[in-house]
Amino acid sequence: MASKLDINVHHVTRVEGHGNIVVRASDGRVERVEWQVPEAPRFFEAMVRGRSYEDIQTIVSRICGICSVTHSFAAIKAIEDAMGLQVSEQVDKIRMLLHYSEQLESHALHVGYLVAPDLLGQKSVVPLVASHPDVVKTVIKLHRTGNQWMEDLGGRMTHPITIKPGGLSKLPTEAYLRELKATLTGIVPDLKTLASVVLSLAGKLPAFERPTEYVGLVQPGHYSFYHGDIGTTDGKPLPVGQFEAAVNEYVSPQSTAKWCKWHRDAYMVGALARYNLNADNLHPLAKETAKLFNLKKGCTNPYMNSVAQVIESVQVVEDSLLIIDDLLTRGIKPETLKVTPREGEGAGAVEAPRGILFHRYSFDKKGNCVKANCCIPTNQNHANIQKDFEALVPQIMDRGQDEVRLLMEMLVRAYDPCISCSTHYLNVDFV
Amino acid sequence: MKQVVVIGLGNPLMSDEGIGVRVVQALEAEGVHSRADFVDAGTSGMNALHAMAGRAKAILVDCAKMRAEPGTLRRFGPDQVVSRKELPGFSLHEGDLLNTIELSRRIGECPAEVVIFGIEPARVEMGESLSPALASRLGEYVEAVKAEI
Repeated sequence: MASKLDINVHHVTRVEGHGNIVVRASDGRVERVEWQVPEAPRFFEAMVRGRSYEDIQTIVSRICGICSVTHSFAAIKAIEDAMGLQVSEQVDKIRMLLHYSEQLESHALHVGYLVAPDLLGQKSVVPLVASHPDVVKTVIKLHRTGNQWMEDLGGRMTHPITIKPGGLSKLPTEAYLRELKATLTGIVPDLKTLASVVLSLAGKLPAFERPTEYVGLVQPGHYSFYHGDIGTTDGKPLPVGQFEAAVNEYVSPQSTAKWCKWHRDAYMVGALARYNLNADNLHPLAKETAKLFNLKKGCTNPYMNSVAQVIESVQVVEDSLLIIDDLLTRGIKPETLKVTPREGEGAGAVEAPRGILFHRYSFDKKGNCVKANCCIPTNQNHANIQKDFEALVPQIMDRGQDEVRLLMEMLVRAYDPCISCSTHYLNVDFV
Repeated sequence: MKQVVVIGLGNPLMSDEGIGVRVVQALEAEGVHSRADFVDAGTSGMNALHAMAGRAKAILVDCAKMRAEPGTLRRFGPDQVVSRKELPGFSLHEGDLLNTIELSRRIGECPAEVVIFGIEPARVEMGESLSPALASRLGEYVEAVKAEI
């Protein structure tokens, strides 16, 4: 069937540029398929130069409203690497607990606000309140739990203030940890509800396969979000200190953003990548959830990223419960925070909800930053989205303009790119 | 939980974009308020949903493009404006505060009274300081919010 497509989804992102989908096809032949994206907010790299190591986290946590904890930890780990700081096992575990709050918060929002409306045939989550109130209620409860958990441990609802080089400015009490344990135990049924809703709709996720390379943190015996080396499905892991050799940033003519590639022309980061690298290390309930979806390690359908997020939501809650038990068994011990700055350079990596995030900093003798570099997951996924588009469009082009457009938008949503988060403002007309 | 919440939104690393957060920081610096909680919600608009829940009144302070003179402060309700934002819904990173308020209403936890203070920016670009047009009026914005509490 001869097909003609003319799609231009124009995304106005104010200061950073555009995130567009462009497709031209006629007579059954694809002439142009492009994922056009802006440079992600690298402004902070200039902003942190000359600033004290003590101020870096405060600044970088504002890069992104959704991933403020993740940016904080990537920075703090890089600073600690540069200055040779070791944190206690206790601090390490509490930080992981805080890190998990952001994973739960973001995954619940992503599945509930971006993916569910597609699968339920709605344009946004707002009309879902009338058509599927229980789904919305569950999603909001999970998001709210993550939000409160983040505020309790991070000292603020977003943009945390307790994360400091060398430790934490405030430790949770044992009473609080017992409360958190009860809260997290209490949301397990909600996670099961979310999984069953997504499972009932999973048949609507497009059956599209494209083998690619998957990259994420790996730590033997763990489903890692916080520690480990840079793992890949295509080769041997690399230490975080060599992340530039994994991301291989380059300039694509269709984008002002830098793109990334490692062993192939593109790679994917995020929940599906983590799953493909670490699924063997899931906890029992997460494993059971994966079984429900029959999600196999090695899945090459990018739309299944959302299913992997559901499984990970269960995983982070299970792992958090184990961490809390461990902390309570040992008892919370007071710690003093004392850091002497030194000259050096260091790198840090953690898993953001949407994929591995790298920061690198250099400091002078006084601990002032002289150089900064950040490689965000969204930039690492751009080339992979483009390659997905190139493979997908010829397969679906006879389905008509509207369906092709929707399937392409759904694909972008599956990755949840960070393309406009550094600003927020209202843009209104008075009526 | 206090009956009134003042929520500042925006990014203080993007000069005037962060005016909402600056106003909340100024209010926090004056100490604990007997009737209102102050929340720095940053650029994550969805957090406003939780901060508003169950309150009698929410006061939202945000940078707003209103086709007005830079520095202009306007007080309005969510039903007095329509959004000009074009959001394809690609990402959680695109926020529209008006959508968040609508969601809050539909799930039945929106405060009876929602007041938005929009402040027209002079510049939205990398920078940690406010433009002179807004910096010179910060005290006025803070007083307007205090009077609203």
